[in-house]
Amino acid sequence: MSVPSRLDAVAFATVERRLKAFVIALWRRSPPLRARPHGAPDQPLRANFDGGLVRLPESFRGYSGGAAIELFFATVAHVAAHLQFGSSRFAVGGLKPLQVALVSLVEDARVEQLALQVYPGLRRYWLPHHVATATGAVTAPALLARLARALIDPDYRDDNGWVSKGRTMFFAERERWHDASISRTIGSLLGNDLGQMRVQFNAKSYVVEPVYRDDNMGLWDFGEAAAADDGTVLEAVRLNQTEGGASADRAAPVRAEAEVGVPVARYPEWDFLIGRDRAEWTTLVEYGASEGPASRIDAILERHPVLVHRITTLIRSAKVSRPLRLRRQPEGDRLDLEACISATMDHRAGHTPDFKVYAKLERRYRDLAVLLLLDVSQSTNDIVRGAGSSVLELEREAAALLAHAMAGLGDPFAIHAFCSDTRADVRYFRVKDFGAPYDAAARRHLAGLTGRYSTRMGAALRHAGRELAAQRSHRRLLLMVSDGEPSDVDVADRRYLVEDARHAILAMAHFGIDVFCVGLDADGDSYLTRIFGRRNVLQVDRVERLPEKLPMLYFRLTG
Amino acid sequence: MPAPSRNAAKREQCTMDLRDYFIDQEPYYRPLADEIALFEAAYANRMPIMLKGPTGCGKTRFVEHMAWRLNRPIVTVACHEDMTAADLVGRYLLDPQGTVWHDGPLTLAVRHGAICYLDEIVEARQDTTVVIHPLTDDRRILPLEKKGELVHAHSDFQLVISYNPGYQSVLKDLKESTKQRFGAIDFRYPAPAVEAEIIAHEASIDRPLAQRLVAIAEHSRNLRGHGLDEGASTRMLIQAGRLMARGIPLEAACQVALVLPITDDEDIRGALTAAIACCS
Repeated sequence: MSVPSRLDAVAFATVERRLKAFVIALWRRSPPLRARPHGAPDQPLRANFDGGLVRLPESFRGYSGGAAIELFFATVAHVAAHLQFGSSRFAVGGLKPLQVALVSLVEDARVEQLALQVYPGLRRYWLPHHVATATGAVTAPALLARLARALIDPDYRDDNGWVSKGRTMFFAERERWHDASISRTIGSLLGNDLGQMRVQFNAKSYVVEPVYRDDNMGLWDFGEAAAADDGTVLEAVRLNQTEGGASADRAAPVRAEAEVGVPVARYPEWDFLIGRDRAEWTTLVEYGASEGPASRIDAILERHPVLVHRITTLIRSAKVSRPLRLRRQPEGDRLDLEACISATMDHRAGHTPDFKVYAKLERRYRDLAVLLLLDVSQSTNDIVRGAGSSVLELEREAAALLAHAMAGLGDPFAIHAFCSDTRADVRYFRVKDFGAPYDAAARRHLAGLTGRYSTRMGAALRHAGRELAAQRSHRRLLLMVSDGEPSDVDVADRRYLVEDARHAILAMAHFGIDVFCVGLDADGDSYLTRIFGRRNVLQVDRVERLPEKLPMLYFRLTG
Repeated sequence: MPAPSRNAAKREQCTMDLRDYFIDQEPYYRPLADEIALFEAAYANRMPIMLKGPTGCGKTRFVEHMAWRLNRPIVTVACHEDMTAADLVGRYLLDPQGTVWHDGPLTLAVRHGAICYLDEIVEARQDTTVVIHPLTDDRRILPLEKKGELVHAHSDFQLVISYNPGYQSVLKDLKESTKQRFGAIDFRYPAPAVEAEIIAHEASIDRPLAQRLVAIAEHSRNLRGHGLDEGASTRMLIQAGRLMARGIPLEAACQVALVLPITDDEDIRGALTAAIACCS
């Protein structure tokens, strides 16, 4: 066992990753872990796994160093046992508080026993915390602690009739431990007995012991009515809400003033019929991006742990810029054997040898700016078959993962979005600008994108191109994600906007901007290759895989 | 199984160059499914084969076993990112009289009829992998450009490559045109009971001990993608088992052979150590 290195408390945050990996390693499940802040100083805090989240105390008072870490492991192993072997919640019904406490206690013992059958070594985390002894005053909390110990510690001796009875009943059901209802049966019976012994039980001051066990709120279904007048449950519900809504975020609905855009530029549009530009034909209007909860973006990253990990690994390898061996150099730090041999051969054959016989290692650094342009037209609200979410939702996921990658790489990047409502109102949203950090505000903007109107690609591309042209990077990349053909309500000819977009792309090549399009329309081959060129289009046939495809594509394009 | 006398006769026919590449002792291999029959059928057609699977799951052992079973010499090349085509096919070297051509390992195998095994082919630069293209279709030829020679493959020659798909798959991947020339056999870590049998055999430890090692490996494989790139391989478990056979206790053996090599991340190490502690 590890020796306490520091004598101060261990914060949950410092062991969070370790605990998470521990649960995954044991049970292959990864419940979201959160810290639970301390309340009043005299109120002992227990873990809680209500409502899909596992909340652990932000620290354990009175424990430090290695002991605190061991206690965190014990706690998380206990909660994981509940998640692994527990069933649906028990209905409180007519149970008295004492019975509720006892059913919970038996249930704790049941899931621990089942976990111990798989991992006998868990005992070494749990057992040291069972310190109740068969002496002292016969109070309800003391008896409960003694029973808890009797149900897990085979070496523990206790002559108390009630404790022995509980132990016998529990182990008699050994074969039925997989059935959670035995906890309820045994617990209520023991509760009755204890009630008849006239031992005082104060539900208000009762705290689950030992310290590694959770507060059992996750075990019970208190019903709607009961929830209203029970303080502890109320508190749990309140915590849920603040976490779900992430209090720091202003989850503001689309504000009215956000609808008022600022016209920032007029762009020409190419008319392929007359073969020339229509000057100042489209008006580009920038709107303030509406905001959603930033936690939505964080949740995306949490939903894809494998992918995020892969991205992080790729970032690391892309960032260190692998050394490149340059051969046949006029000078360098070592001889290039191949070149030497051919030079000698040339020499002997009487030809003039090539004197570039050196090799050297060189590191190439990244120098590129990326603008991600998202199509947020009405059609992106369509639900993707097989994924259960809309195209826009998948675009958002992909953008979040890509932004995570780009922010990690330190490449300057911007995320913009567009849609259009006739040529007079091409709407442009700035989710994140080049100079701005990828912070909570950017994430809120990304979370707040909504799909409306049509897809007038050309004008948006010109605007994005102008933005990108101002960047002073060696390489500039415009990455567009679109789900359909360019269209708008004031254009009847299907070819018109396609040709215009193609024209915009051609113009961008003059500025040295690379454009790449990710098409989400299975039938988009014809017009997307027409606009962007065959080599610059990737069709994603299974849209639900976009979130993993996009960051990988990015590494490919820029690697 | 081929009789020893036939073995010897076949070897005599083989050129001196490849005599060292025969495998004398049967390499232990525990079949997981029908891969031996598949490989034999593929070899009968001289079909190029790609062995896919995570590191340390038995790809190399399998191909060695097959070489022994088919009684063919095997030339193994471990590919690396700086490997040039010349490293595979050969090059001119200088001697006092002038220049002299030296066959590379691939040419050696092609000329004299060996199984050529290119290990971790994705590591090689893409221009290097292209030299195997003419060998892996109906032509079965190897043009030696610098020498001006066209080597027709010996009738016994077969090409086998190994490929770990999960590994840096974006930055390094086989070209589509390379992939499609190969038949593939997929390898995975064996089922727990089989894996325990393999470990017990290779490390000479008791079956129950081997089973515990497999349970521990399961933990690390659960962490794949959650902090580990790859779970503990069968090879790692065998190493741990070998330490235990020499009297090292389970937890220490796992630390040395498993936890410490697999990651530098303190948190993941802590979690793995704790999970291993739960198994005993």
